[in-house]
Amino acid sequence: MQAFLDSCAKAVLEGDTEAAEKLAREALDKKYPPLEVIEKGFVKGIREIGRLWEEGTLFLPELVMGAEAMKKAMAVLQPALSKSGSRPKSLGHVVIGTIEGDIHDIGKTLVATMLSANGFEVTDLGADVPAGKFVDEAEAKGAGFIAISALLTTTMSGQKRVVDELKKRSLKGKVRVMVGGAPCSDEWAREIGADGYAGDAVAAVSLAQSLMGAR
Amino acid sequence: MTKDFLATIKRRVVIFDGGMGSMLIAAGLTQREIPEAWLLTKGEKIAEVHAAYLQAGAEVVTTATFGASRIKLQASEAGKKLDPERVNEKGVEIARKAVEHSVKRDAFVAGDIGPTGLFFPPVGTLKAADARAAFKEQAQALERAGVDIFIIETMYDIREAVEALRAVREVSSRPVVVTLTFDRKPRGFFTMMGDTTEAAAEALLEDGASVVGANCSLQSGEMIELAEEFKLVTGAPLLFQPNAGRPVMEHGIAVYKQRPQEFAQDVVKIVAAGANAVGGCCGTTPEFIREIHNALIHGK
Repeated sequence: MQAFLDSCAKAVLEGDTEAAEKLAREALDKKYPPLEVIEKGFVKGIREIGRLWEEGTLFLPELVMGAEAMKKAMAVLQPALSKSGSRPKSLGHVVIGTIEGDIHDIGKTLVATMLSANGFEVTDLGADVPAGKFVDEAEAKGAGFIAISALLTTTMSGQKRVVDELKKRSLKGKVRVMVGGAPCSDEWAREIGADGYAGDAVAAVSLAQSLMGAR
Repeated sequence: MTKDFLATIKRRVVIFDGGMGSMLIAAGLTQREIPEAWLLTKGEKIAEVHAAYLQAGAEVVTTATFGASRIKLQASEAGKKLDPERVNEKGVEIARKAVEHSVKRDAFVAGDIGPTGLFFPPVGTLKAADARAAFKEQAQALERAGVDIFIIETMYDIREAVEALRAVREVSSRPVVVTLTFDRKPRGFFTMMGDTTEAAAEALLEDGASVVGANCSLQSGEMIELAEEFKLVTGAPLLFQPNAGRPVMEHGIAVYKQRPQEFAQDVVKIVAAGANAVGGCCGTTPEFIREIHNALIHGK
């Protein structure tokens, strides 16, 4: 079993989407518990990618391929999980998007993928999202978390409008706000009253985990 | 008689200009607008920025055509309706006029080409042929309008930089400067695709770049180290254009807090590390260029 789990982690680490999908099917055939295969196999691969990315050994293409492999495996394992009733413990629901006026999509999408690969439920609103829509959607979904990307110094003030909107609806503190994007920083997050800043997709996962009190 | 750019840069340090976008925001550019649209509707605002940089000592003015490739224009509401050819021609026309009306009549006009904003596989679906075609269209318009040199900047993927460079080389024999944007990781400097300075220099020089280097992302202090690294991996002329620190927000506007003098002191160290040309990127203003000029010319 351990060797099998290791090969699951390796498939994700190497961004081998075919192998990841094949291993997920094999896990079902062999009646391995899907939750264990995910958490002790595939997720381990994603974590390792995160570590190697932070130190500068792997880069964006590897991160994207790893997340793709993870998604393929999850697509196979998800139905079995639901059937067995052993749902992976969702760490929480995150509503994510790029703020209005800003069409930069890639960083936000990567954060969304990494969050979902790490056990968060994610609603991705896409790019050019009005401040009010983040809050509407978080209320509708009962999400505990809003993640806002802004890549331009001209659009980052929109992140503050989301925080202000939460305050207006008395949701500040109940819904945590995480900001990211090239011009953002810890100071910026503090200044606008957001709960945290993440500089990349890997940091976003750690930040979300710590804010959710998970781990 | 225009100066020879390559001869000049090999002989002494050439001063480029600083940020355009952040200057236009200060002049009232809103988040729904793009600088390229202002070329057609508020050209005088862009001319003023060029004039201020020339006045401050810039010897190269960069056209406000960073986002004027067809692919990049198509990506925004404000850009969709613009004709790339017209935008690029207008960019050169405004820069050229600014030079002619300045005290620096022999300053160079650099035709600016920025990234498409899309990604090659596996990150995105951009095709090399599409990138090349968009860059070629832009380069042709810039060449026709009469630039002195080209600057391909803020590239985050060597592959895209090479497509832009080859596109320019298809339509022009003028000098081409290519700068990439690097992040600092515990293991060193890399583009977000993992390209190293060595790989970048090698690929770009092979395809005919005249000058290579880096811009944006890094602050002036970090750029000193990057310049040292570049000097170790290539003998080619080098250009560095750091940001004015990291922006902080004040009253809802991004403000770059680094002081021009402090920036200029770092730029002196970047020159000492081997740079042949220097300038600024996001957040830098004519004041920064003036300080660079003073520091390099007068040593203060």
